Amino acid sequence: MNKPTSPSKLAGATGVVSRGIPIEDLVEEGRVHSAIYTDPEIFELEQERIFSRTWIYIGHESEVPKTGDFRLRKIGRQPVIMVRGKDGAVNVLMNRCLHRGAVVAEVESGNTKFFRCWYHGWTYDTAGKLVQVTADEGYEPGFCEKMGGLARPPLVQDYRGFVFASLSEDVLPLREHLGQAAELMDYLIDFSPTGKITLSAGVNKTVYRGNWKLVGMDGYHVNYVHASVVEGWGDDENSGIAAMHKNDPFSDTALTRTRDLGRGHVLLDFREHRMASIDKYVDFLRTIPGGDEYVAAMYSAYGEEKAKRNLSLAGDPHLGVFPNLQVIGNQIRIMNPVAADETEVLMFPVLLEDVPEEINTLRLRQHESFYGPSASGSPDDAEIFERAQIGMNATVNPWIEMSRGLNREYVDEDGTRVGRISDETTQRGQMREWKRLMTAV
Amino acid sequence: MNKHITVGHQPEVRQEFEAFLFQEARLMDNHQFEDWLKLWDKECLYWVPCNTEDVDPNRELSIIYEEHDQIRERVRRLSGKFAHAQQPKSRLIRVLSNIEIESADDDTITGISNFVLGEVRLNRQMVWFGRNEHTLVRTDEGLRIRRKKVFVLNNDTPMTNMTFLV
Repeated sequence: MNKPTSPSKLAGATGVVSRGIPIEDLVEEGRVHSAIYTDPEIFELEQERIFSRTWIYIGHESEVPKTGDFRLRKIGRQPVIMVRGKDGAVNVLMNRCLHRGAVVAEVESGNTKFFRCWYHGWTYDTAGKLVQVTADEGYEPGFCEKMGGLARPPLVQDYRGFVFASLSEDVLPLREHLGQAAELMDYLIDFSPTGKITLSAGVNKTVYRGNWKLVGMDGYHVNYVHASVVEGWGDDENSGIAAMHKNDPFSDTALTRTRDLGRGHVLLDFREHRMASIDKYVDFLRTIPGGDEYVAAMYSAYGEEKAKRNLSLAGDPHLGVFPNLQVIGNQIRIMNPVAADETEVLMFPVLLEDVPEEINTLRLRQHESFYGPSASGSPDDAEIFERAQIGMNATVNPWIEMSRGLNREYVDEDGTRVGRISDETTQRGQMREWKRLMTAV
Repeated sequence: MNKHITVGHQPEVRQEFEAFLFQEARLMDNHQFEDWLKLWDKECLYWVPCNTEDVDPNRELSIIYEEHDQIRERVRRLSGKFAHAQQPKSRLIRVLSNIEIESADDDTITGISNFVLGEVRLNRQMVWFGRNEHTLVRTDEGLRIRRKKVFVLNNDTPMTNMTFLV
């Protein structure tokens, strides 16, 4: 039931042909064909082969704390409801009435005992069960039971409150699928002394006119795309996110690295770089409002060694979880593909539980300074993505060069592929998984 | 309370407030960043909430929540050559209307206004809507902005870059 159906144009065992090139030939080790960003047919195929075939991040359980709390999300373009059920489970339901297809939840968030479709009054509970059909004498007895309930992704699992769903059963268990990405997610969660985070601060919703795959983990772009911000760091190295990026982490001589963690998950790895100056950072933390109390709570909860490790990334693992999730800055970020040349980026600031309020207020101010439609950082990313999307309309040479660092990349003991911070190890990691999913039979 | 309403309804106060708003709008439309910065009192708040019209800024996200230092940094960044989202700059014309004085006394004027803002950039036109709440204070240099809160109508909807001044 959940195996993706093949489009009728399927040619050969491994994929369709785009502009005369089989899909598998669009991604080479050091370059990719820009049709993967611009071709509407490839975009449609992605909806089946990427977004219906692997784990998709839906939301965080803290977004639906009470029974009946719900949020609307998307798997690719498919509308879903994330809702806290009566038994305490977080359910993910397709937002589509079994009758004539209307959405049964029409506001983005709320609290409800039942989802009622206002077309004909069919009613579902928070587990998605069809509990009432209007004037049911027009149907045979037992109709509700036979219909069951709102369609669901066959698999819904969470990792420490991060809820994922898969439209395919042919996936690894979530924890195994995440692999080392899970350890990086821990850096955000364990930035709270009690290991609890909450997404209760709202969301920046932004949109750019470019492909979803343009959002990557890129260490090479910072000094150019964010030149206007880097320029200001000279003035106040403790302001905004400057505090997190001292000692030029974006230089290839730094201890920072790019990592391909496997299965499309990628990382800008600041761990070693930040640990090298951890004592200085902890001293700095003690000077911010609430900082003394916060550091003490972290040491008490984790012991000095683990606390230092948990503090070192400032809760920012700079992680991409393929295909639609990033954990970056002070936020959890979702990328929704809308069209080949349109992408929504939703940025949810993450607040920490059991810390002084000023710590969370500062997290919000830091987020606002760099991220959001009027901020100093992410709008320039969006602008650059739009320039790339326009440029890719020129197809005389259609290849995107993605070879940076191939000459010095290596496989680490832990199985991850590693490059310098400016290398395209991360882009190649994403493309490798893209190709695997797009061409798998 | 009567004094405030009486003062608020004085035509001179309305005119002053409107004239200030129109001047601010003109400076923002023309990207005159330094002159716009001068309109702010040193003790000020520039607040553009996110998602709703009103949020608790200590616990909930804003699009902009800045005091004077950060406004100055915003002006510095936009005045340079590397703010790519505004290279080239948007063409802007905004219309202010529905101006109402909420309160006024010897030192301050608080009022609300609506705006419609046309933005043209790279062969595309966007239209933005919003409602302002300004509190102006009288200083030796004239009226200055003590507090400006802007409800941008699409603040709960996917937004394109809004890096020009609102």
